[in-house]
Amino acid sequence: MVRYIIKRAFLAVGIIFSISLITFFILNVIPGDPVAAMLGEFADADKIAQVKAQMGLDAPLPVQYINWLTDLLHGNMGTSYFQKKPVVTLILQAFHYTAIMATAAYIVALILGLTAGILAAVYHDRPIDRILMSISAFGISAPSFWVAILLQIYVGLKFSVFPVSGVSSPVGYVLPSLALGTRYAASISRITRASMLEVMGQDFVKTAYAKGLYQRRIILIHIFQNALVPIITVIGTDIGALLTGSMITENVFNIPGIGKLLIDAIHRRDIPLVQGGVIYVAAICVLIYFIVDVLYAVINPNIRLTKGE
Amino acid sequence: MKKKLMTALLSAGVATLALSGCGGSSSDSANTADQKDASTAQESGSTAGSEGVKKVLKFGQANAGEGLDMQTSTNSRSASIADEVTESLLRFDDDNNEEPVLLTDFPTVSDDGLVYTFELKQGVHFTNGTELTSKDVKFTFERMFNPATAAKSTAYFNMIKGAKDMLDGNATELAGFEVVDDYHFTITLDYAFAPFVKNLGTSYADIFPEDACTEAGENWGLGTNLIGTGPYKIQENDDTTKVILVKNEDYHGGDVNLDELQILFYDDDQTKLIAYENGDIDLADLNASLLSQYKDKYADEITAYYPLGTSFISMNLKDAYLSDVNVRKAISLAINREELVDAVLNGAGIPATSYLNNGIPGHDDSLSVYEYDPEAAKQLLADAGYGDGITISSEVRQADQAVYSAIQGYLAEVGITLDLTVVDNATYNSDRTAGKIPLTGSTWNALYPDGDFQMYNYFYSSKSNAQGVFYDNADFDKLLDDARKSTNEDERADLYKQADSILSQEDYACIPLYYPQSQFIAKPYVKDFKVGNLIYHFWNVDVDPSAQN
Repeated sequence: MVRYIIKRAFLAVGIIFSISLITFFILNVIPGDPVAAMLGEFADADKIAQVKAQMGLDAPLPVQYINWLTDLLHGNMGTSYFQKKPVVTLILQAFHYTAIMATAAYIVALILGLTAGILAAVYHDRPIDRILMSISAFGISAPSFWVAILLQIYVGLKFSVFPVSGVSSPVGYVLPSLALGTRYAASISRITRASMLEVMGQDFVKTAYAKGLYQRRIILIHIFQNALVPIITVIGTDIGALLTGSMITENVFNIPGIGKLLIDAIHRRDIPLVQGGVIYVAAICVLIYFIVDVLYAVINPNIRLTKGE
Repeated sequence: MKKKLMTALLSAGVATLALSGCGGSSSDSANTADQKDASTAQESGSTAGSEGVKKVLKFGQANAGEGLDMQTSTNSRSASIADEVTESLLRFDDDNNEEPVLLTDFPTVSDDGLVYTFELKQGVHFTNGTELTSKDVKFTFERMFNPATAAKSTAYFNMIKGAKDMLDGNATELAGFEVVDDYHFTITLDYAFAPFVKNLGTSYADIFPEDACTEAGENWGLGTNLIGTGPYKIQENDDTTKVILVKNEDYHGGDVNLDELQILFYDDDQTKLIAYENGDIDLADLNASLLSQYKDKYADEITAYYPLGTSFISMNLKDAYLSDVNVRKAISLAINREELVDAVLNGAGIPATSYLNNGIPGHDDSLSVYEYDPEAAKQLLADAGYGDGITISSEVRQADQAVYSAIQGYLAEVGITLDLTVVDNATYNSDRTAGKIPLTGSTWNALYPDGDFQMYNYFYSSKSNAQGVFYDNADFDKLLDDARKSTNEDERADLYKQADSILSQEDYACIPLYYPQSQFIAKPYVKDFKVGNLIYHFWNVDVDPSAQN
């Protein structure tokens, strides 16, 4: 198990390093000079060149990359060109909002998704299954921003039940969590149903029924636990996506989270912030997949014994 | 197995919450304060009508995200906040008239137009308690020209003697600034520059207290690190969701009406308007794209105003086709400006008659809207040898997409194919500066009513290269040079009128389209709010708490 974890950890570091390298060079070849963007319409070519030299952006790209990487290894991701604050500070500030929203949204998603998935599997091919799966198909198809706007107008504005935007109080997270959570609930319910149905057809389940075990025990212990691996894969992917920001939902509900921070940074070519943000996104994804990998091994020991683990 | 699974899931949850906690400390306190503020505002509403009710105005706008130091930001949204806290020596009121603020009177100028003599008001204090003196003014300008500051708007002040030496790193003191005593100083220019006093009235010349600004260092303009002599001071600023200003009780200019001004940031226009409808904000700027949606429902709450700007087609005059004045004139003739303003802008603009905005001295009031004559446009193109049609590349920003899609249609009718690409601001700025865009949309706003601001930095030969225009007309340049030297405002206006005629009626070096209208939406209990130009000011606004929710 320890070897397995160490291997995965090395792989994670390698992935983050590769992503940082690719991002750095892509950002420096795409159109849009960050200094011209920063100085705006007042700037002439001389002024742009002068500021570039001041910021060390006239050095060769490999030198710039090594400087950036050296700073990164010392915990310094640089300073935002526009917001004039350390990138680490900005990311942590935004992460605070995103993490709360993601956690709340995923609690909604897990409660709705797992319940609907289990019920649909247990009542397979019956009306409740068809109704739940129709709702989930709608949930997957409906864009989050559309759900967000509907919730904002009909729940927030018309009935004044929850704030229409902003997260100045905890209730401000209710509508964004619902908008995001229902979308993820839909995918969780479908994978839960499919995975449980697959397990339900296996011999050990028939044996359990034949032994006269309680149905609730069979469903929750024998079937659900054995159906968990694909469900955890989906959950891992979803949490990774949620923690790396939901630009549109954040924008609709005026939440200054990671998605909004990074999109603004990309538009303005705020390169230190984009680079820092990409490292953050990569680290979150790698961390989540690392946790998922470890969970696989915990749930099913056969996984870590597989050749080429 | 079950225990292992639960342990693993709990660990993941704890890790997430711990990470969340890392960034949360400052924001947590901000959120707590938010709730407190919200309840305070509610209280003021609920006790409406009683004496001593706190007057709070909540203003919604997008976050410039550049801090509030107006030496390093040129964003009008930053200025709308900064101008409430910091003041320049003079300022423009909401009718665009300049008035002394920190000075006893307008400065006097020597006969050769080079030396300006200033007298500061005595007894003006910054909100940290220190008195404003000439040293603070000197410090402010020297900070502006210190290369380490990376000030963006030095072009408006670099005619001060010694400014260029400082900018080049060859001096640490501003040679042209002489402190006579605590309340008197002189500024000497390298050359006569008539709009100098007007430039001193912009946000870019806000005066900072030396001690506090030096102590804040790179954090000046961030959080609560902005101290000035203005009518408000910053109580709270998280740089992300809101800024809360409270009345400066010792303001040298007398009491403002509001006790508290909350600036709440909404980057999405639609969300901002929903917040307005919900009563979360009392006042907001209203994007023209939402005008049709709201103008009937809130007709009494929407107020239009006209900033001192012009939207025009900006062209690279070195382009193979656009270097021909006949092609440029044909483009102008092909566009129906009145229809464009009505159909695409929902009427939010005035069809242009020349480049100079109609609120700027020198604008020729006798001119009519540019002629729309597609047949004449076709004839001009045919005469120029382009009867078979031409293709012109174009890059525009998203905000201009609707207008330029319509222009694409107009031009297609006369045989010009506009190859339109929508790009983001960063790409636009660098491509335009590099001269890579043959045709694009631009809106150039003047911060005060003076032709120099609107013309010089875009079309003067040595400046137009940076805008990717490459306009070079010696007669035009001379008129602008003469206008800079003259101290007679009537004469200056006449020189700009002549320059505008060359620029936009003879050379068609740009193709003016319209003078844009802007608008704000305000609840009926918001009184005496007026916007004269780009920047919102809250010096005179009042609210009626008895009508506030």
